[in-house]
Amino acid sequence: MTKRLKIYTPFISAGIQETATYRVDLIFYLLGDVLACFVSYFIWKAVFISSESEFLHGFTMPQMIVYIFLMFLTSLLIYSDGTYNIGEEIRDGSIAMRMLKPVSYNATFLFQEIGNKLVTNVILIIPLVAGVEVVRTYVTGEIQFNILHFVLYLISCVMAYLINFFFNICFGFIAFIIKYLWGANMMKNCVVGFLSGAIIPLAFLPDTLEKVFLFLPFSSLNYTPVMIYMGMYNSSQTAFYLGLQLFWVLFFWGLSKLLWSGASKRLSVQGG
Amino acid sequence: MIHVDNLRKEFKKVNKEPGLKGSFKALFKPNYEIVTAVDGISFDVPKGEILGFIGPNGAGKSTVIKMLTGILTPTSGQCIINEQNPTQNRKKYVKEIGVVFGQRTQLWWDLPLRETYAVLKEIYEVEESEYKKRMEFLNEVLELDDFITSPVRTLSLGQRMRADIAASMLHNPKVLFLDEPTIGLDVVVKDNIRKAIEKINAEEQTTVILTTHDLADIELLSKRIVMIDKGNKVFDGKIADLKSKYGQMRELVFILENIKDLEKLEYKSHFKFKDDDLSVTNDGISVKVRFNNSVAPVADMLSYTLSKISVKDISVKDADIEEIIRRLYKQEVDLND
Repeated sequence: MTKRLKIYTPFISAGIQETATYRVDLIFYLLGDVLACFVSYFIWKAVFISSESEFLHGFTMPQMIVYIFLMFLTSLLIYSDGTYNIGEEIRDGSIAMRMLKPVSYNATFLFQEIGNKLVTNVILIIPLVAGVEVVRTYVTGEIQFNILHFVLYLISCVMAYLINFFFNICFGFIAFIIKYLWGANMMKNCVVGFLSGAIIPLAFLPDTLEKVFLFLPFSSLNYTPVMIYMGMYNSSQTAFYLGLQLFWVLFFWGLSKLLWSGASKRLSVQGG
Repeated sequence: MIHVDNLRKEFKKVNKEPGLKGSFKALFKPNYEIVTAVDGISFDVPKGEILGFIGPNGAGKSTVIKMLTGILTPTSGQCIINEQNPTQNRKKYVKEIGVVFGQRTQLWWDLPLRETYAVLKEIYEVEESEYKKRMEFLNEVLELDDFITSPVRTLSLGQRMRADIAASMLHNPKVLFLDEPTIGLDVVVKDNIRKAIEKINAEEQTTVILTTHDLADIELLSKRIVMIDKGNKVFDGKIADLKSKYGQMRELVFILENIKDLEKLEYKSHFKFKDDDLSVTNDGISVKVRFNNSVAPVADMLSYTLSKISVKDISVKDADIEEIIRRLYKQEVDLND
């Protein structure tokens, strides 16, 4: 096992070096996300101001603000580019080069992306968590930081990332059929954004819909870690949702392996 | 070493009618067509041979190479390479082959070249001492030292190709697939690459399959060629055989004292050449007459020419492989006789 993993360590270091090459791109990318986050903040502020009640579906305005910023942080931490990368490789045919290496196709993507993410996440996590905590202390009037919640949040984020990664890989294999993925990817991002609670908290949905969404894999992406961080779950709920996350990790991991063995058989390399 | 048996590959292709209207139609009611890219090809390659694999553009060469390397799954037929079926245990199989696609790169685009080699060393599990020896050897023949610390995206085409070839040889593969390794390169770089292929073949008994459009590559490196066209094998044998069998074209080159004399030469009517048997080009200084030796022997051509005009200089060139291949591609030579 360690020997098998050792093969993939160069992919991590290559991923790190890649990200380091395009520093400016990274900064612009982040700025875009920060802007989107503030847009969302002002919309919700308007919603709460025009509402007569102090609570909206169990959320107070300070909680809502914390929710928005945590969603932003979590989305950033668990972001995965797998669909896009696979789609591009299939579109320009460079998938052929990856298939000529004695390594697992999915694993090379995973470790390369872990390398990419190590850079961004390590740089971002401390200032962003500090930022969220400052906002949180400011809007609620007291320090709310809970180290246990934070550690559980990190664990939950790792699993959320793995779910996201393997889900994206599975989705990317659609490119084997439709050849080009940009449109499908945009659609997927919208749907997943809604289903995972990144746009509206799932608690705002009608009861039955909320229950359905909570059992879909997408709530395990952003919603579960954020709710854990905010301390909205008691210990048995936390254990349950972490377990559910683990289940989805294994599910999509298995599915991606299955799809790959099917897809690679019907590959037609484009160009050259 | 390599056994290819009745290999076939079909692709499904969407047939789009021209224009915007056609695009819409294809969107809602695609009209599929089955295209046979490779139509039952068989051949064997013994260990240590360099096989030239040639054919005109679109003949199916790359498709065959992709099937042999395990990227594409054949529609029917099979290939056994190194006692393995490429599509069955991909990871194990690709460990023992090296591949270069001239049009693509396996190098890490954003990393210094050296890093790609370090990654390859790990994934092919090459021993440190072996790796050093290997790098030294490759450095010597391909002169990588000048750019080994530069990021791959900054390399010139010639540098990148040398680097790619080195990457494919790093793990000492038993079989090397080179798909147009000299495409777009200058003479010196081509020479280096040929030397590297020759050397690795001689030292390690590496089996090499080489596709190229530069027939000098083939002539210098391989004794045997397999030619395919439209998915079928049209020739399989030694280059020497090809030459003696189909090499009827000769070239007469002369410099006229008076360029206007050219009008006096009426080869076509005199020797009754067909259109394809004769071509006359004139660049203002020298005149090149390419003709079919079986219609008019060289001696007759010479005496006819000299009897009609006076020349400053005259020479006769032998058939070269390019000429034969050109005629084969244009299907002027019947391969079945």
